[in-house]
Amino acid sequence: MPYCRRFLLRVWKDNPAVITQMRVKGLIFDPYNNAYIVVLRDEENSDMLPIWVGKSEASAIGLALESVTAPRPMTHDLMKSFLETFDAKIISVVITDLNENTYFATIHLMYEDSEYTVDSRPSDAIALALRTSAPIFASEKVIKKQSSEELEQWLENLKPEDFGKLDT
Amino acid sequence: MEPVTQNQSPELVALTVKQILEDGNTDTRIVVLKSDDASVTLPIWVGSAEGNAIRLAMERVVTPRPMSHDLIRSFADHLGVRIERVVITDVKSSTYYASVAFASKGVHRTLDARPSDAIALALRANCPIYATQDVLNRRTAVHLDAWINKLDAKNIEPQQA
Repeated sequence: MPYCRRFLLRVWKDNPAVITQMRVKGLIFDPYNNAYIVVLRDEENSDMLPIWVGKSEASAIGLALESVTAPRPMTHDLMKSFLETFDAKIISVVITDLNENTYFATIHLMYEDSEYTVDSRPSDAIALALRTSAPIFASEKVIKKQSSEELEQWLENLKPEDFGKLDT
Repeated sequence: MEPVTQNQSPELVALTVKQILEDGNTDTRIVVLKSDDASVTLPIWVGSAEGNAIRLAMERVVTPRPMSHDLIRSFADHLGVRIERVVITDVKSSTYYASVAFASKGVHRTLDARPSDAIALALRANCPIYATQDVLNRRTAVHLDAWINKLDAKNIEPQQA
């Protein structure tokens, strides 16, 4: 992944502690908010980032997590085939900011030897990253803002069965 | 039988999204497409999230964050790709099929899509929506127009914001 390495080197050179690679650990239904939580964790499981998303956004992520191929192309499948058709490659996606419960993300594209940064919601960025095997990063700023102990405890108390299930 | 609409291609009929109806019994929406002379109506059933994506574009609502189809539009803009047109191409066991035509520096590409994605994209790219005459001939319900008119007459609940 030379594109990815190039991107990482550049970011780390600017600020070595600015981003952490995250993995999608699962989806949890949050009955209090009637929404879903996408749980991201870093490699060492020391940092956690929960992202609240709507039902259809969760479904787009859930299908990719479980590698389900829908009979008809879903919105993010269309997005992926569009990028592939024009030889644009996703280098990475970055969860960049959190502002009054709204998350911001960027999608980094390589197209004809140029890099493009596209503004996106984290749900779209994650749904697309999972379909294209692109790495997901979170800025330290977002992780720090999010790691409240109460939330961690609440998540710890959830049963393993709650993970990875989509209540349809 | 409707007369064949005069178009750049004789097999294609240009359509406009007239309204999104809420199907109260199921969690679905009905996208009502009409030909320019209003002689042909094509209703397509879509999911509530898909209907919502179309409604946002119809009403030119600017959301605080880009929605999924805004993102596709934004990818196309970054790559210098034009979204040329979308076509409702086929219907098999009440499932409609569509295609989206893209163009970039003289290169034309067509991608398979669900009609809901194609329409949501067309409204955001201000590109025309067509259906093949064959699809229009094979619309399922016989008393469709009457049925839609009846729906219109009833007080349809206002859509959620």
